Amino acid sequence: MARRVADTASTRRRVAYLLATLPVGLFWFLSLWVLLAVGLSLAVLWIGLPILRLALGAVRIGADGERRFVKWGLGVSVPVPPRADTGEARWWSARLADPATWREAIYLMLLLPLGVVWFSLVTIALAVPLTMLATPLTYRFFPTGQFSFVSQEWRWVIISSLPKSLVFAVVGVLLLLVVPRVVRGLAGLHGAIAVRLLGPNTKIELEAQVRDLRVARAFGLEAAEFERTRIERNLHDGAQPRLIALAMELGQAKEKMSTDPEAAMRLIDRAHEHAKLAMAELRDLARGIHPAVLTDRGLDAALSALAGQSPVPVDVTNNLAGRLPPPIESAAYFVAAEALTNAAKHSGASRVGITVDRSGERVAIGVADNGVGGADPTGSGLRGLADRVGAVGGTLEVESPPGGPTIVRAELPCE
Amino acid sequence: MRVVIAEDSVLLREGLRSLLEDSGIEVVGTAGDAAELLTAVADHLPDLALVDVRMPPSFTDEGLQAALEIRRTWPEVGLLVLSQYVEEQYAADLIGAGTRAIGYLLKDRVADVGVFIESVRNVAGGGAVIDPEVVAQLVRRRRTQDTLDRLTSRELDVLSAMAEGRSNAAIADACGISIGSVEKHISSIFMKLDLAPEPDDHRRVLAVLTYLHR
Repeated sequence: MARRVADTASTRRRVAYLLATLPVGLFWFLSLWVLLAVGLSLAVLWIGLPILRLALGAVRIGADGERRFVKWGLGVSVPVPPRADTGEARWWSARLADPATWREAIYLMLLLPLGVVWFSLVTIALAVPLTMLATPLTYRFFPTGQFSFVSQEWRWVIISSLPKSLVFAVVGVLLLLVVPRVVRGLAGLHGAIAVRLLGPNTKIELEAQVRDLRVARAFGLEAAEFERTRIERNLHDGAQPRLIALAMELGQAKEKMSTDPEAAMRLIDRAHEHAKLAMAELRDLARGIHPAVLTDRGLDAALSALAGQSPVPVDVTNNLAGRLPPPIESAAYFVAAEALTNAAKHSGASRVGITVDRSGERVAIGVADNGVGGADPTGSGLRGLADRVGAVGGTLEVESPPGGPTIVRAELPCE
Repeated sequence: MRVVIAEDSVLLREGLRSLLEDSGIEVVGTAGDAAELLTAVADHLPDLALVDVRMPPSFTDEGLQAALEIRRTWPEVGLLVLSQYVEEQYAADLIGAGTRAIGYLLKDRVADVGVFIESVRNVAGGGAVIDPEVVAQLVRRRRTQDTLDRLTSRELDVLSAMAEGRSNAAIADACGISIGSVEKHISSIFMKLDLAPEPDDHRRVLAVLTYLHR
């Protein structure tokens, strides 16, 4: 009995869904086409762009609404496809390149024709048995005094007496019992279409994932290459010449030891200085490769250490609780380190702010200074940084108009 | 003796200058990149140009390219090229320009002041000085290929010393044998390698290096 009740309830919901598909489909069909047409025709005037953006947003809203409606009406759960959402900078390309967007749009366009078909079929499926059921009461009121099925022209069955009408009514009852099955069939069909178009498409998603991974790997290789070159250059410019100078001075001192001990002593003093400087340079280089405090104590401690070493005063606002995955921590740290170095070297800033925020599965680290701006995002430092961030699947934005301020912002994924 | 130094690190440039001047060698000019080097050589026509391989702007081998340019334009200027790393290919480019008054040394060698100054004088005087590391690399490569197997280990030592540009006396000293046996080893080496005997030191180095690099 409970099953029957549940069945009736779900049949009612299916019928409601299938009938509602017509107006809902009409709504999306009209609004999306209108937005698209207006947006495209005004695109040259720039006003069109926000309208097109609205259209793309509407597609997602419509698809999200349909997922919930399908779940309610048809009892079919449609999982949300993974979305390649990025920050504001690449909104358009990310949204347009996402195959999910296009499948959602196709689904919303299909709603109207589907709605027409479902509406007709459901109406017929309900109307025919109900009309037949009612014939014992109604046949007498027809203008011709009889009820003709299917119509006046094709008179396959003519009801002109009570017994005939009763037989007809019985057939109507039998047909009415079949209606839930028909409705369930149609609902199943629509559910399958919804899953296909609104759900994740394994093949397309996998292809997209492979593409993303390939890009990330290329970024990774480039970042590693850049890093190796940087380390080699640092060694070549820093510790190596110091050590050679040190050896040279000691060599000279050795030669002079017997003839001119005072000069030898001066040389040893210089060599000693160079030995200490070489140690400091190697220590800085090692920290530049990977700061120990980041591994031991995490991003918060490492950012504090960075702030402590910076010649420009730094405010760190860390809204993060707990640790992030090591590659993400490392990327975030180097964003801060590079941005701070640039701010201290080029911007003339008197104050720098670092903020770290987490929203859902993304961590954003922003470094803003009050300097003169004009940083070149294609310069080797920032490009290397972008590669490094790209390698972990993040995005880097640099805003630095002439006159400032400079804002470097990275969004990094973290599960 | 007059020398021009080309080295992009100020620290090393000044270090080399003091090193050379302490030994009574006159430093007539210094340069921080290849263009400055060419100008300085044109201005002073020194006995020797001491050149770092890697210099700005590209930090690859512009020092070496400038050295080869100097050899083409002013063949009488001696060339001593200093390199952070042993690059057989760099040495080969230099040897290709002839073995009169050329040298290729690791930067580390400046630490042994006496030996380094000796090399500087040697090259300025028209000799050839090739870093032992480079020679060792050439010998290793040759050995894996073929004919050096025919040499005894003593002969290999003598061959390496020869390739570094050392005189018979220096070879005898390094190997701890008499000058007479050095000469015997040398003629035996030349015979085994099918090289025509060379009485002249420089041409002997050329012969050996060419053989090794073939």
